[in-house]
Amino acid sequence: MARHAGPVLVDTNVILACWRLGAWRALVGGYGVETVEDCVTETQTGFQRRRAEERIDEPALRRSLKAAHAVSDLERARVAIQGADLAVDHGELSLWAHALSRADSWLLCGPDKASLRLGIRLGFRERLASLEQLLSDVGYRPRQPLNVAFTAAWHRATLETLAMAERSERR
Amino acid sequence: MATQLIGARIKALREERGLSQDALAALFGFKDRQTVSAIETGERRVSAEELILAVEKLGATLDYFTDPYLLAGEGKFSWRQTGLGAGGLSAYERVAGRWIAAFRVIAPQVGRQTPLLRKSLPLTKRSSFEEAEAAGERFAAELALGDVPAARLATVMEEGLGVLVLMVEAMKGVSGAACRLPDLDIVLINRREGEGRRHFDLAHELFHILTWDAMPPEHSEAPTEFGGNRVEQLANSFASAVLMPTAALERFGDWDQSGDALIAKLNAAADDLQVTASALKWRLSARGQISAHVARAIPDSALRHNGRKSDRSPPPPLFSKPFMEVLALALDEGRVSVRRAAGLLDLTVEDLADAFTAQGVQPPFEP
Repeated sequence: MARHAGPVLVDTNVILACWRLGAWRALVGGYGVETVEDCVTETQTGFQRRRAEERIDEPALRRSLKAAHAVSDLERARVAIQGADLAVDHGELSLWAHALSRADSWLLCGPDKASLRLGIRLGFRERLASLEQLLSDVGYRPRQPLNVAFTAAWHRATLETLAMAERSERR
Repeated sequence: MATQLIGARIKALREERGLSQDALAALFGFKDRQTVSAIETGERRVSAEELILAVEKLGATLDYFTDPYLLAGEGKFSWRQTGLGAGGLSAYERVAGRWIAAFRVIAPQVGRQTPLLRKSLPLTKRSSFEEAEAAGERFAAELALGDVPAARLATVMEEGLGVLVLMVEAMKGVSGAACRLPDLDIVLINRREGEGRRHFDLAHELFHILTWDAMPPEHSEAPTEFGGNRVEQLANSFASAVLMPTAALERFGDWDQSGDALIAKLNAAADDLQVTASALKWRLSARGQISAHVARAIPDSALRHNGRKSDRSPPPPLFSKPFMEVLALALDEGRVSVRRAAGLLDLTVEDLADAFTAQGVQPPFEP
């Protein structure tokens, strides 16, 4: 596929995975990658919720990002009132809150099913991208296999399942 | 769902602040209290701007209004603990409240309804200890707890009574707790306690669950196997009989040994029954199978850890199979994110996957 020319919004899971795989440079080299302050915090030691933590230098991370956005309570409230039954993490919620505030042609990359489901509910199914697809579009092939939730095939199949679940519950 | 959740939280906070609907309407700038009423009942959706107004005017966080995994003014706890001040207990209660609230929200979402009806024991504060023991005996028999009632009790509570039983990492000093919500009963047990203590706590908390309306327990009580106020003594009598009913004790024959022989038999039988030797000693004393004089003469040190240097049994897996099954379904259906679930249980993502495996539940994600 053609490389997306607009901004790419990424969550904590994506940053941690790219750092672990050595794919971060390829991602930020190929796209204008942005995130939110909550996700930057969650990438730091003590907040990663991973057994073996990545050592991510915060200034280096910030330099490589096109932007890290602060999110207001009002922006979070706009998402929360539509998806209070979908329990996502602070970073995941803030990223969607920020995405909702933008009018440009962003894509969002976050592999968690609850985050994907929230995106579908908010009407942004077509803006959801898999990490594998993004990396592939800039000609990068990870040396290690990607966790299944980052693959394009899983992403497509999961979006279909989640969209059906949303339709069925909205009836 | 969001509309009802936010409305209910606004109502709970308004009542906590002692405000009328008229007063809240004035605070929000609504023309009448009907708007507040419609918001509280979930008939009218709150806008994001109104939600932020609620945050500012009622002095609560945004999470308070939007986080479904929160017990907001609901839930009555009764803790078995020693040495914790009100502050420490209150902080831990908030943590435990999140596990409970999460289960209550998620279970019906994934098709696991909580029971419609509650069971209760026909006992009151005026009941005798003998009546509490008789109730324990009948409970063990009617619910077919078998030769080692302690081994089946948690399963029977979950499957037969619909009680959520959670094995938890608790603060030092906390043995366990019973919690009552309008639609769910919960028992928390410190999984780091010795096996016999855990089982006694479980049976004790079961008594509180089954008698909550007739004799509401104190918010905090000491975790002893005898003594305490009358309700606690009744709970201990019931717990002893559930875990050591006559039918299960018969196989050990008479108890007319003395000295080291009696101590060795108590320790061995307690291991067999998965109770503490101390609890067994007092149960036999209550039944008149050993005299109170003999019971008092046996030093506690001889029965500690049922005669071993330390408790060898590994702790049970975290939480419970029903709890982890419900969480796995919610993760798989995209109702809760992995990071949120890990945060809720204060685990790493990898530890969360291991917690599923330990309960025999396939982790619904690749860590």
